[in-house]
Amino acid sequence: MPGVVRLALFQARRDRVTLQVWILGITLLGFATSSAVVTQFGDEPAQEAILTLAASNPAFLFMRGLPDGTGVGAVVFFQGFAFTAVLAGLMSTFLVVRHTRTDEELGRAELLGSAPLPRAASLAATLLLGAAANVLLAVFVAAGFVAAGLEVPGAAGAGAAVGAVGVFFLGLAAAVAQVLPSGRSANGAAAGLVGAAYLLRGVGDALGTPAADLLHVDSAWPSLLSPIGWGQRVRPFTGPDLSALLVLLAAALGLATAAVLVRQRRDVGASLLPQREGRERAGIGGTSFVGLAWRLQRSTLAGWCVGAAVLGAVAGALGPLVSETVSSVAPLRDLISRLVPGGQTGLIDVFVTALLGVAGVFAAAAGIQAVLRMRAEEAEGRAELLLAAPLSRGRWLGANLFIAALSAVVVSGTAGVSAAIGLGLSGTTNGPAGSVVPAALAHVPAAFVFLAAASVVFAFAPRLSVVLGWGMLAAGLVLGEFGELFGLPVWLQDVSPFRHSSAMPVEPFDPAGALGLAVIAAALAGLATYVIQRRDLTA
Amino acid sequence: MNAATQPVIETLGLVKDFGRTRALGGLNLSVAAGEIHGFLGPNGAGKSTTLRVLLGLIRPTAGTARVFGLDPWADPVATHRDIAYVPGDVSLWPNLSGGEVIDLLTGLRGGADGNLRRQLIEEFEFDPRKKARTYSKGNRQKVALIAAFARPARLYLLDEPSAGLDPVMDAVFRRHIERVSRGGATVLLSSHILSEVEQLCDRITIIRSGAAVETGTLGELRHLKRTHFRVTGLAEPARLAALPGTHGISIDGAAAEFDADAADLGAVLAGIAEPGISGLSVAPPSLESLFLRHYSDGSGVK
Repeated sequence: MPGVVRLALFQARRDRVTLQVWILGITLLGFATSSAVVTQFGDEPAQEAILTLAASNPAFLFMRGLPDGTGVGAVVFFQGFAFTAVLAGLMSTFLVVRHTRTDEELGRAELLGSAPLPRAASLAATLLLGAAANVLLAVFVAAGFVAAGLEVPGAAGAGAAVGAVGVFFLGLAAAVAQVLPSGRSANGAAAGLVGAAYLLRGVGDALGTPAADLLHVDSAWPSLLSPIGWGQRVRPFTGPDLSALLVLLAAALGLATAAVLVRQRRDVGASLLPQREGRERAGIGGTSFVGLAWRLQRSTLAGWCVGAAVLGAVAGALGPLVSETVSSVAPLRDLISRLVPGGQTGLIDVFVTALLGVAGVFAAAAGIQAVLRMRAEEAEGRAELLLAAPLSRGRWLGANLFIAALSAVVVSGTAGVSAAIGLGLSGTTNGPAGSVVPAALAHVPAAFVFLAAASVVFAFAPRLSVVLGWGMLAAGLVLGEFGELFGLPVWLQDVSPFRHSSAMPVEPFDPAGALGLAVIAAALAGLATYVIQRRDLTA
Repeated sequence: MNAATQPVIETLGLVKDFGRTRALGGLNLSVAAGEIHGFLGPNGAGKSTTLRVLLGLIRPTAGTARVFGLDPWADPVATHRDIAYVPGDVSLWPNLSGGEVIDLLTGLRGGADGNLRRQLIEEFEFDPRKKARTYSKGNRQKVALIAAFARPARLYLLDEPSAGLDPVMDAVFRRHIERVSRGGATVLLSSHILSEVEQLCDRITIIRSGAAVETGTLGELRHLKRTHFRVTGLAEPARLAALPGTHGISIDGAAAEFDADAADLGAVLAGIAEPGISGLSVAPPSLESLFLRHYSDGSGVK
């Protein structure tokens, strides 16, 4: 046991900056959400208005969560919990994979494995560190809520719910890390499961049954499959129910125990899904920069496409269904006919638009990931091998930008096509079935801006490119999703490229906005190509 | 300038700073066409930095570097056309097989010679189907070596290429160096092992703290090949100075230490062969002792 604690302290030392950023970042988001709610929805009529609007709009329910009565705390929990829980989940999965599968892959685990400790000691230490990080996160989130003026017991419950979701994903990621052979694949799968948890909760909430007063919604069964859905059931500000936390913690314990048992019995470096043999010769495309970039991106891209396809299918298949559910409640039907132009069809549009917007974020993320791979190539010494060939750095950058742009188009297109198929299958004839593919592709120019901006950071400040590349996407997302809620000035919100994408099919296509984004992206890519030729390769 | 007399590599007063650290402090290096040039120095002397400058991967802070008469920073593409490079620490794409990486690296330079590729894979006893993730250091080194040798080049830049190879593979490596050299190619081979450089190279440059401290043919650097003696129990240690080819004699009580030229070893051995000696150790020349003995006075750049 002292050995495990020692290892945990060592891992904490490695993570000292990363974990601080995660915990403080999540706390800040929670604090900002609650102070925004306090200022904007401080009185009961305003709270009733936002809750009714949400209850009548499945897209809102899908994105945010379940309205659970009036009161500042309840509104904060409804608005902010799902996002916060996703972040807590990602913090936990990245933490676990970093110290388990990635360390094994890079041979660091071997060094520690020679110490006189049980085989699973390092995994146990990681779980211990993760549990501590999530307890700390729970305390900080609760403190942030209290600082923003929420009542103490509710804030404590909300913090505990966030922490419990994080703990669940510790166990899940530990299990995933036993199954998959590389750090990359384990990270991808674990983060994908966090996304799936958000999605399942969204489906459950969007299909939920609104109460007669339109201030509460009860989720449908899919939400029970999602740890974030269980966290939501804690309802800390209205009817605290801590048994939901116990479900999460028990599930985490089960998964973690399974992972430890597997680790205790397997070889170092071995995985349940083994490494396949490779090809003896490169394929036709395998001898060029573009071919290599494609080879390195394709499995990542497949992952994003699965996510986009699921989103599109949810939008297409559930849009009509949720609008029916909502319209079956008489008071809601009246409200919708007043609020949403076009009534029920308009409601489908809103739902589809919201989900295609999320697919646009996926597209940008897939592109950014392709661009940032260049940094990994450089930092790990492979760029040196490549650039010793008689080909310019501009071509290398260009090849990677091309694959990044292609990824963005493919991800958006996948979401659009799957939404169209979904709408077709669910028999929406007068709906937006034909227009969803262009609607999905309308988000591509904004994605181009993000990936081109990431390439500029890579060219100028390679060591900061990973942090800034993802940071820009996170900033764009916060400005786009929360900018209005936080009451940020319009010019600041307008910095986000997402704000200039046409939200089709609700809005008409805006050629000027799309062209503007495309021109900015091209200019940024040109700048990056110019700068990259003029700096040292930097490890 | 006449192509025959123009050095393939020439650096003049090469300086490279990384922040406040000076990696190269005015390095002069000249490698003539067709020679195998040893680039010898301890860890951290600036060997890899020099090779990266020669490839135009990093820009010198001051001084000039010319490869085939070209500035590699200004025109990396033209410079690289005839270069094969093996980095000191080979890092590969974990999810690509060794065979795919070889095809990629040779493909970027215009394609491998199929027969040569097959022959190299066979001689290096290399399995090209394994994912790079599973390769040991020696196997990663083989990938880079096979890719470098599978296609003719006019200049081979090799950064400690045999580190991680076992003696049998090392012999294969030497054979291919000799093969490309016979074909007229120029080789710059960095190493921190004197004996390796000695066996392969025509000329040697020794670098320390970012500057060349010696350069010349093996004959010219004969003093590097002095053997180190430590003898105890000599009746009259001062007599050592009278023996031919002895240098750097130091006497500490009954023990005497000195270096002897290779040509005079017989005379030296005869000279110290007396009944009273109680201990004798003879060490072949090593880079370490060379640096300890010749350059420990801080004569290099600081």
